Amino acid sequence: MNWKVLLSGLFGIGLLVAVLAVPILKGTDPHALPSVLEGRKAPGFLLDSLEGQTWSSDSLVGKPVVMNFWATWCGPCKQEHPALLAAARMYPEVVFLGVLYGDEPAKAQRYLARAGAAYPTLVDPAQRTAMDFGVGGVPETFFIDRQGQIVKKVAQPISMGEISHWVEAIQ
Amino acid sequence: MISLIGRGLVLLALAAAVSGCVVGSISGIRKRDRGGDWTRNLTFAFGSFMVMATLLMEYALITHDFSVGYVAQVGSLSTPLHITIVSLWSALEGSILFWGFVLGIYAMVFAWTTRGRHPQHTAYSLAVLLGVAVFFCFLVASVADPFAAVEVVPPDGPGPNPLLQNHVLMIIHPPALYLGFVGMSVPFAMACSALLAGRLDAAWMQMLRRWTLLVWSFLTLGILLGGWWSYEVLGWGGYWAWDPVENASFMPWLAATAFLHSAMVTARKGLFSGWSLVLVIASFLLTLLGTFMTRSGVFNSVHSFTQSPIGPVFLVFIAIVLVFSVILLSARLDTLAAKDASIGSAVSREGSFLLNNLLFVCFTFTVLLGTLYPLIVEAISENRISVGQPYFDAMSAPICLALLFLMGVGPVLPWGRSEPGQVRQLFVRPAVFSVVVGALSFALGVRSPWVIGTFSMATFAAWASVRELSTPVLLRMRKQGEALPKALLESAIRTRRRFGGHIVHLGVVAMAVSVASATHWREDVDLTLTQDEPVEVFGYTLTYLGAENQDQPHRVSQVGRFSAAAGGRDLGVLEPRFNRYKKRGDEVPSPAVYSGPKEDLYLSLLRVDDDGTASLRVVVQPMVAWLWVGGLMMVFGSFIASFPERILRRRSSVEAQGDVA
Repeated sequence: MNWKVLLSGLFGIGLLVAVLAVPILKGTDPHALPSVLEGRKAPGFLLDSLEGQTWSSDSLVGKPVVMNFWATWCGPCKQEHPALLAAARMYPEVVFLGVLYGDEPAKAQRYLARAGAAYPTLVDPAQRTAMDFGVGGVPETFFIDRQGQIVKKVAQPISMGEISHWVEAIQ
Repeated sequence: MISLIGRGLVLLALAAAVSGCVVGSISGIRKRDRGGDWTRNLTFAFGSFMVMATLLMEYALITHDFSVGYVAQVGSLSTPLHITIVSLWSALEGSILFWGFVLGIYAMVFAWTTRGRHPQHTAYSLAVLLGVAVFFCFLVASVADPFAAVEVVPPDGPGPNPLLQNHVLMIIHPPALYLGFVGMSVPFAMACSALLAGRLDAAWMQMLRRWTLLVWSFLTLGILLGGWWSYEVLGWGGYWAWDPVENASFMPWLAATAFLHSAMVTARKGLFSGWSLVLVIASFLLTLLGTFMTRSGVFNSVHSFTQSPIGPVFLVFIAIVLVFSVILLSARLDTLAAKDASIGSAVSREGSFLLNNLLFVCFTFTVLLGTLYPLIVEAISENRISVGQPYFDAMSAPICLALLFLMGVGPVLPWGRSEPGQVRQLFVRPAVFSVVVGALSFALGVRSPWVIGTFSMATFAAWASVRELSTPVLLRMRKQGEALPKALLESAIRTRRRFGGHIVHLGVVAMAVSVASATHWREDVDLTLTQDEPVEVFGYTLTYLGAENQDQPHRVSQVGRFSAAAGGRDLGVLEPRFNRYKKRGDEVPSPAVYSGPKEDLYLSLLRVDDDGTASLRVVVQPMVAWLWVGGLMMVFGSFIASFPERILRRRSSVEAQGDVA
């Protein structure tokens, strides 16, 4: 029996198995990328909606807010659109806002006329607000509580169940 | 009903595997022949039950029996038949069943080809092989049960993953990779049997080499097709992204490649025999690690199925196999190594093979570290990081260059000791030539040292292979007056391993040059084109002709039509598209590629608008086609080298008799 091989081998196995076991034990989802903004104050903004109405972050203080970054060229955004529509109708006390990401307002208007709209979509020139929020791609949905803190960022097409869960959390 | 029969078959296979594993171990320990026959029969039983279970699942898929859990999960009435057949491996449960099927076939072929030979080694090998089978049968019977009955039978299902449905390569890439991955358990079993028996005969070693080579060919083919598929489907114009799962297939390939070289030294010189077995065992363990990565949901990748319950079970299995291998190695390594001769001179073929092995092992560790590093960081802190292309590129480029260099040196150096004068004579011409090629590429404007290095080292390596291939052919033509085709065929048959090996090397050279050129001269741009207005881009003229929708039962395609021309020559109409699969609602882009020997024009549709404009990504990469040519050469060469000797011998003895008559 070569004890050197045995002991170093078993040591290596222990390390490897430990490394592989950690994510299983923690139960983390590798597809989820936590936002550094979670738990911090939401960045301020001052934007016009497609209808020409001005929205500022200051006017939203004290209200729970759901902000959804989207675009008409993004397939998954269209996929989650019905869920967001339904949620906006179900929770009238929550402010739902769409923010257009890298897209033309005319296209968004045409799309919303067809697919339906239940809340305003803001136009974000040069994607300044998207940058402030650290948006890496669309769709991304932010849940902001009454104190203006980002409670959760969801970086994938969102479902009705997920929206309800996080809306309960910010109310 | 099918659920019940299917589960029954899997349980029978499990029973056969368990009893075969026990009987095989006992007959290996007691060296009894009768036990060996029993083990063989139980192997056939296991294989047959596994094949039957898989065929039954295929039957359920084809007849759309949605009472079977797996069919309800991936089946759909509107999916075309050929896609329905291959959806066996489109999700977790089916793919594990398919794994068992391939293992069953391998086990039966192995049991059949070893009948009446090496009784003790065979009994041990079958015992180990069936031990692996026990685990997979257990998975199929428990946590990944494809035959689970559905309580409320749905009228229709969602259909398989759209990515699987989107391209023909997706039909052959997974089975080829499975043949490589699952097949690695045969060399592993053979290596374990040599360790269990405490001796490694030359004949057993030769068989081990042949099996590993065969499995290696499949693995190479699987990896190649995966890259090709990614290029043809994913729309970013690349073929390799150092994604954890790509790495998972690459690591066992590296370890097995190292073995194929060290085994040559073991066979020829009786060196490195213990080391060769370590490499075989490592290759198998790396395939298990790879499967774990794809199937456990621990890694984020295009390949990973989402969170699944088999992760913990798989990890326990990996741990058991690791502990088993380490105990076995530490118990027997000294016995095997005691018989090894010692290496004579560093400037010899065995010296260069030793260096080759060190490089391959370094390469494997580099990839392993890069792949596991995010997990390590996450284990000791809360941070999430990802290790990307820059790390892997920076680490692998020098190793690849060194390997290219060795490809030009190793096969040319003599075994044993070499005289300085001889070495000078062998390498002066290729060295001068490769320096000339390097200088020429510098003169033509190449400034990247890596690209220049690749070109000149590729020349160096190609020189060696071409000379080794052509010398025997030319000799036959001159000495025996044979025509070129006959001389080529005869020398291919007579020195089949060396011949195949050099074809593989030339394939590697083609791939190296292709990767270097494609990466260095890649150009890409995102454009918006207006209908019927030609646009000049990278030397091509593209005209957007309009878009159309194509409706098929299972999908709707939005097709952008673009005419392409280069230098006044019409290249035809390219049709990149979006395919939307009705049942799942996912949109999958499908790029269009115009492929030529010089360069590829690659169009990927980004969006089509109602106002007569379309946006697309245009990628032009030189020499990409040579990547596939080189890869296919590697597969072809390794098939030549692993061709069974018996058939060839029979053929040439028939010829010899004909000559006498």
